[in-house]
Amino acid sequence: MPIAERGYAHWDGAFVERRFPWWPITRLGIRLAFKRKFFKPLFAISLAPAVFFLAGIYMSERIEDFQFMFRGRNGNRLLGVDPAFFKTYFTFDTVLFLMVMLMVLAGAGLISDDLKFNSLQLYFSRPLRKRDYWLGKMATVSFFLLIVTLVPGLLFILFKIIFSGSFKFLTTYPWIPLSVVGYSLLVTLFFAFYTLLISSLSKNRRYVSILLFLVYVFSDVFFGIFYGIFHEPAFCLLSIKCDLQQVGAFIFRVRPQYDVPWIYSVLVLTAICSVSGFVLKRKIRGVEVIQ
Amino acid sequence: MPRNALRSVFSFFFFIGRKARKTRVFFLISGLPVLVALVVQASRLFAAGAPVDGPSLFNNVIMAFELQFLILVLALFYGTSIVSEELEGKTLTYLTTRPVDKTAIILGKYASYGLFLLIMLAASVVLSFIVLNIERLADPDAWMAMLGGLGVLALGLLAYLAFFTLVGAFLKKSVLFGLFFSFGWENVVQYFPGSTQKFTLMHYLKSLLPAASTGSPGKLSFLMVGQQPSSPGVSIATLLALTAVFLAAACLIFSRKEYIFEE
Amino acid sequence: MTAVIRTQSLSKWYGNVLGLSDVTLEIDAGITGLLGPNGAGKSTFLKLIAGQIKPSIGKVTIFDEPIWNNVGTFARLGFCPEQDSFYEDMTGWEFLTRLLSLYLFSPAEIRAKAERALDFVELTKDKDRLIRGYSRGMRQRLKVAQALAHDPQIIILDEPLNGLDPLGKRKVIRIIKDFKDAGKTVIVSSHVLPEIEALTRSIILLHQGKILAQGDIHFIRDLIDKHPHKISVMCSDTRGLAARLVGEPSVLNIQFGPAPDTIVFETRDRDAVYGLLPRLVADNVIDVEEITSPDDNLQAVFDYLTGK
Repeated sequence: MPIAERGYAHWDGAFVERRFPWWPITRLGIRLAFKRKFFKPLFAISLAPAVFFLAGIYMSERIEDFQFMFRGRNGNRLLGVDPAFFKTYFTFDTVLFLMVMLMVLAGAGLISDDLKFNSLQLYFSRPLRKRDYWLGKMATVSFFLLIVTLVPGLLFILFKIIFSGSFKFLTTYPWIPLSVVGYSLLVTLFFAFYTLLISSLSKNRRYVSILLFLVYVFSDVFFGIFYGIFHEPAFCLLSIKCDLQQVGAFIFRVRPQYDVPWIYSVLVLTAICSVSGFVLKRKIRGVEVIQ
Repeated sequence: MPRNALRSVFSFFFFIGRKARKTRVFFLISGLPVLVALVVQASRLFAAGAPVDGPSLFNNVIMAFELQFLILVLALFYGTSIVSEELEGKTLTYLTTRPVDKTAIILGKYASYGLFLLIMLAASVVLSFIVLNIERLADPDAWMAMLGGLGVLALGLLAYLAFFTLVGAFLKKSVLFGLFFSFGWENVVQYFPGSTQKFTLMHYLKSLLPAASTGSPGKLSFLMVGQQPSSPGVSIATLLALTAVFLAAACLIFSRKEYIFEE
Repeated sequence: MTAVIRTQSLSKWYGNVLGLSDVTLEIDAGITGLLGPNGAGKSTFLKLIAGQIKPSIGKVTIFDEPIWNNVGTFARLGFCPEQDSFYEDMTGWEFLTRLLSLYLFSPAEIRAKAERALDFVELTKDKDRLIRGYSRGMRQRLKVAQALAHDPQIIILDEPLNGLDPLGKRKVIRIIKDFKDAGKTVIVSSHVLPEIEALTRSIILLHQGKILAQGDIHFIRDLIDKHPHKISVMCSDTRGLAARLVGEPSVLNIQFGPAPDTIVFETRDRDAVYGLLPRLVADNVIDVEEITSPDDNLQAVFDYLTGK
């Protein structure tokens, strides 16, 4: 048999594209997250605020029955379902904190595990592009975050209509569904970029888990420190939580807590996403370069 | 257990730790209070009027941050690393096939990481102090107060490090538990009334702060909300005893437990 | 001769999974090969005798001393684990010297032993490179070096030839043989028969956590030879070849196909057939394109021994 001299040949066949090549990555990520110890209880706990707010919607429609709980105060003012109610849920400290904890469990290993086990080359030896990989990983985080944001938001609207028996809420605030979708997507997109950025920084999942938590908490702590010293609201831009709350206030047409233009917060969040994109582009390679 | 074994394990991990990237990252993180101090002092230099005076900022803010956040984070990461990183990296075999007692492995690594953390902490506290007390550097009382605070932080750091060493030796997935313990239990239960707060390490650390004994308002005042301090003697003895118990339990578990690497 | 390693009724479970079952044996000085397919319990056995895991039932003694948590014994033992894991940010030199420091040798002794071990595994010129930059073969040899640097009396090697190229394999085989020549005890595992054959004649055959056979490798070879052996030949004249093979008394049956121009036959005497085929080629009787053996020898023996 003759032995032919062979060099590397570029594949020039037709690329047969699957419709959603990223979906297997997402499906695997979701399945692995549910297999993790403590994830299911945490996931259930993260839905608790939504249940609590849903109960609030029910009570708001039966306010006379629950008036005794408010000890003479106006129950309608406390439990009124208006844009502020939605803004409160979406920018609630506890909800945001639980979202971070979900990312710690479900998102920390998304890229760091692939880096640790050298599996990037396995991914890219399949008909998969970088953007499919990114999309697959982002969709994993997004799946969980949307369940905590978009799904409850839409359910709040639906149940408000069902409990009140009229569309008055929607006719009064016709933009609310759009705000719910818009804010859910924004917070999900931001946290997805944030998770992937930190997950790509190390091969050690434990390290990534702590960093995910640390950056979020410390950004808020340092805002607190600087705000306490200088009483300058612009320091709220340092805090990821405050930035999300400022943008949330704008989207739900509520007065923001700090007197800082919301667009600055959008710019901060966009900058973090851009850094994430840049880092991911450098880190996600089919071939590992040993230095 | 021969002291030489302990020393050789200590130097083994001190050597590794010095080269590790995580050391540089956590050095930077522990340097954040210095950054705050620099920003504040710069603002005093370049802007008219100082918003807060340096010593008060150091006592109220920097020390509170170090106590409530920094030592917890440092101890959580390094403490759980003591066993977990050997399992995750599958390098445990290289240690447990040597003629070194398993207790020496835990204690040697604890000592080495403890020293790293104390250096990080001391650098952070001392530099912040110098930056914020630049006009009072000749005042020995200020130095003594700072060193007293640093001592409390060091005691807390070593106690938390011992606790997380135990958690890491016992649990495979220790981070989530650690986060809930640090920022849930420790940060919440310390404000509970009565004896409940005594179930936190933070209670004993706060009992050692000057504000606890002098009751002077202003200094770390918000940390003292609802605080029913124990006496300094009891606090120190409890912290030392708990550190010893946590370490002994960690050594016992590590010696008895069989660690199987994940495939 | 006194046995160096003794196990008695050694069993190990991982939860509900059986890792090793009722293994009683004695291992003497020299090289002992532990042979078995993946999941046979080789690593479990090696970890048990290296004191890395605790027996569920039974006991292990090394030089008549129990091994589990018996730190003193570890000075006489070198263990090369299967997993490809290191402290990656160290250089090869740092890795060896730091591990040697755990034996409480003096600095001069540490340097001398590290130099000798690196020289032994031919890594001296790469000793100052970071381990993360080492090739697979270099990493494997460094693993072997850390197991023998302190000059142990027993060295336990878990799949040391795994993933190595032929040159790398030859180097590691030579290292192991040199070690044996120094009068030491070596236990080495593999799932590849020729690798073990290249190292030793004394083998232990493990399958599903149990010892199937123990003794001289010729015993296994004989089993392989007695066991009907399947050979596939691709040639231009399959029927002509079949006619020739029919005359061979060792050939049990002949099949045409499954691929065109291919015959598959079974023989009880491989050597006779492998002697015949080249003669036919040399005499221009047939034009052979390919000779393969669809049987995995070892698996066939395992199937035979387990009565499948």
